[in-house]
Amino acid sequence: MNIRQARLEDLPGMQACNLHNLPENYTMKYYLYHALTWPSLSYVAEEHGRVVGYILAKMEEPEEHDGPEKSEQVPHGHVTSISVLRSYRRLGLAKKLMLQSQEAMSTIYRAAYVSLHVRKSNRAALSLYRDTLGFTVKSIEEKYYADGEDAYAMQLTFNQS
Amino acid sequence: MAPQQVTLAQKDRKAFQDLLSCYELKQLTRGRKVADQILKKYPDHGETMCMKGLILVHLGQRDEGIKLIRDGMRKDLTSHICWHVWALVQKGEHKYEEALKSYMQALRFDKDNFNIVRETSVLQAQTRAYEALVESRLHMLRLRPNVRAHWVGLAVAYKLSGNLVEAKHVLEHFQGFLREAPVNDAEYSEFILFHVRVLEDLGDLQAALALLDKKSKDRYVVDRTAIHTFRARILSKLKNSNTESPQAAEWDTRAESEWRALLDLNSECTDYYHAVLANQGIDLGSLDDDSRTQALGLLSEFSAHSPKAYAPRRLALTVAEGDKFKELVKPYIEAGLSKGIPSLFSDLKKLYADPFKRQVIEEIVEDIRASSPSEPAEYLWTLYFLAQHYSFLDRHRKALDILNLAVEHTPTLPEIYMMKAKVLKRAGDPYGAVRSMDEARALDGQDRFINTKSGKYRLRAGMVDEAEEILGLFTRKGAATPGADLTEMQALHYLVEVGDAYNRTGKLNLALKKYYAVQKVFESFREDQYDFHQYSIRKTILLPYLDMLKWEDEVHSHPAYVHAVVSAALIWIELYDDPLLGKSLQPSHETTESSKKALSKAKKAARRGNDPSLRWRIFSTVSNQSDDKGLDAPPPKDDDPDGVKMILADDPLERAAKFLETFKECGKHIMDVCLTNFDVAIRRKKYMQAAQALVRAHAVDAQHPEVHLRVVQFGKTGESFMAYFSVSSLSDSIGSAVKSVLHETLIALKPEEISLDVFTSQYLQSHSTSSTVILACAKASEILGNPMKDIESLLFTSLQDNIELPVEDALRILSYLQRIKSTRAEEFRIACDNKFEFSTVFKSSDQQAALRQQCLLEEKEDCEDIETL
Repeated sequence: MNIRQARLEDLPGMQACNLHNLPENYTMKYYLYHALTWPSLSYVAEEHGRVVGYILAKMEEPEEHDGPEKSEQVPHGHVTSISVLRSYRRLGLAKKLMLQSQEAMSTIYRAAYVSLHVRKSNRAALSLYRDTLGFTVKSIEEKYYADGEDAYAMQLTFNQS
Repeated sequence: MAPQQVTLAQKDRKAFQDLLSCYELKQLTRGRKVADQILKKYPDHGETMCMKGLILVHLGQRDEGIKLIRDGMRKDLTSHICWHVWALVQKGEHKYEEALKSYMQALRFDKDNFNIVRETSVLQAQTRAYEALVESRLHMLRLRPNVRAHWVGLAVAYKLSGNLVEAKHVLEHFQGFLREAPVNDAEYSEFILFHVRVLEDLGDLQAALALLDKKSKDRYVVDRTAIHTFRARILSKLKNSNTESPQAAEWDTRAESEWRALLDLNSECTDYYHAVLANQGIDLGSLDDDSRTQALGLLSEFSAHSPKAYAPRRLALTVAEGDKFKELVKPYIEAGLSKGIPSLFSDLKKLYADPFKRQVIEEIVEDIRASSPSEPAEYLWTLYFLAQHYSFLDRHRKALDILNLAVEHTPTLPEIYMMKAKVLKRAGDPYGAVRSMDEARALDGQDRFINTKSGKYRLRAGMVDEAEEILGLFTRKGAATPGADLTEMQALHYLVEVGDAYNRTGKLNLALKKYYAVQKVFESFREDQYDFHQYSIRKTILLPYLDMLKWEDEVHSHPAYVHAVVSAALIWIELYDDPLLGKSLQPSHETTESSKKALSKAKKAARRGNDPSLRWRIFSTVSNQSDDKGLDAPPPKDDDPDGVKMILADDPLERAAKFLETFKECGKHIMDVCLTNFDVAIRRKKYMQAAQALVRAHAVDAQHPEVHLRVVQFGKTGESFMAYFSVSSLSDSIGSAVKSVLHETLIALKPEEISLDVFTSQYLQSHSTSSTVILACAKASEILGNPMKDIESLLFTSLQDNIELPVEDALRILSYLQRIKSTRAEEFRIACDNKFEFSTVFKSSDQQAALRQQCLLEEKEDCEDIETL
């Protein structure tokens, strides 16, 4: 197993991994957009050249129309997608990938926190984010997913050093 | 003679300016009105016609618009506006080379038009015309020297054209006048890294290091991982290329500490361990006793330093030998089994290349099993490991026995059923595999991974509709079909598997459609880079941009693409070899009706809803509300969705060749591409091309059975070719040139003094235990005109016990026997059915249909279960 920053040639492998695992899928251009805008935030876990897990992440910069909430007004990281193939679970890969990305968000972009969305029904993921990684639920976004399911909007605040 | 050019009066020129600004502001309907007013007075004004045409294209009246533009251009071939409009239309059709030519024409008539120069530069990047790109970038900079991005763009253009010295000059100049560079800015940080890389690539390592050190000290470079990586790499290079330098020791120490700093940031990155070891002069590719001990010492130090890291422990298993290996692998396995890590076997399998290690692992895991671990989970994962172990060694019965024990022990773990499916698939029972994978799916219906596997296994069993049904549980509900969603989402694994499923079941038309769908995915990958040529320069995130260009240049070497093109080309060859085949695949009326029904059903589903939430629009300047349809040509309507017209094409070989040509340079070193190129060329009687393809294949692997077969084929063709020329009066200079090339190629591939027959029997003798060699030699034997009974008895030797015969090879031999209409094909089938315990692929087609039906029936019940849940 090798955990490292995602490279351009990893993108098809990340896309394949995502399509095997999750119902939220993206075309290659969206992966390229991440890789060419925030090249240090995405990581892969790779075994013998095959991508078995990935984190695809970005930054959200404050914008005028982002709403009144103050926490929205600071740059923060956002996890677009993270997943690990079922046959590579229990190695702690999701956690390791997440920590690498968070470190980069915090040191390179001075992100105050990281956010992500999770399906209300996805208890395994919810427990990983909440219990293992220390995220908290900030709000519920109704009908966030294409099939009408609600999402928990979760956040983890970084310790400023 | 050129037509008389229409000139506008002063006040009408104003109207024309108004038209241009309407277009700029995308006020399309107003623009059209203004254009109509001008045209009322000057019906032959070329520029107005072109502008109106362009607006019509935007408004969705593409054909009408393009016709008007063509007419307008004919009226005025010296207008930059007309050429610019035409370039935009060609660009919208992704005809980049042609668009580029139109832009060059436009520049002839308005050489300093900034927009045109800029758009030209984008197309030059897209088409990799780097020398010309430098010229355009210089031009842009001359026109607007105060824009930062134009300096950056020029430096990148120089780098791409290979002129690093000029790239360096531009960067230095730019840095010189850049005031108030932003600190702690991720984008500027990337820009500095680009500068450092230019110096590094120039070989100016000390300058690269100095720049990096200074800029990171001043907090202009903010990416810690990048700083350490660059430093470590440059220091290692410095040290290795200047071993005599008095600074060598210092560089060495610094490099070491940089690599170690990286390990502190990420202790699971295998690359870093390799680098640290390499820095100490240890090459893991060629170890002796001393360096092995040294490497193990370091890795053990790192393991102690990062107690939770797998990477150093796993790497030590690759390095260690003998007792040391035993000592290290035992706790590694024990920890994995007690934690219940499903991937433990796949992690260790690479070590099986060494029979000693394989044996040690087997003994350790069998010992654990014999000691009956007190934790039930550990016992279960031990069985899971052993099943994979024995399946890997083709001991299917043992693997299945172990899995049955595991199911008895814990009937609720999907992994056990998934593994059983895999073992059955390997043993040649795709139908049993489908059933077992479905049992896994029934235990965890929420998991897309099992669902994907279930779909794949159905495809492997030739059950395409059933696969779609299952895959549809996780695809977008608004999509016309599950397959349509997977295609839109660029699911290459799906397209390849479904194409193969059709291919295996003889539905060559549908298989071809899927293989061409793979091509479309890769075309869209190529299109995707377009917007980044400007975006990345503006953002100054440049090294990832350069990586993207490189990736795009080699994107066709992706295994899915290679597989799709080669499979499609082979189908075209089949259609050529058997001219009646295409007709035999035409649908009867009955099926046409049912496919019509399916089509209207799909259309209805598509109308039901198109969920926009996952459709990403980046860079898009087209707003949703307006009537602006943009300039991109809509995808052409597919009036042959099942490919039944396509397979009647009268130029199958040309189509195969055209598909294969898309590999360009990157196909040269891919065996299957070279072989298929040969197969197409030899049928097209393009002997020079065939020779070239064969020489390339030979260079990749001279001993490959398929290469041997083609050398024989080439030799045989050469003989008849030469014979033809010696009697023909046509033996002109071209003929004799070809003849001598063929002759030279052949003697490079086969010793001149031996015959093709002897050549084949020698080859067979030296690889006599390989079933793929046996099949290739049988085919060679056919080409050489040997009697059927000799070919048959050669093929039957593959059943002997000393021959390694995987199920897939046995199937290939069977299908070859059927193709040459051997009377012993049935005998071979029955022999295989007896030889391969558990296999069902050698059953008669009736029996297989029944087996398929059986998984179907059970399947229906399963589905109902799920729906009622």
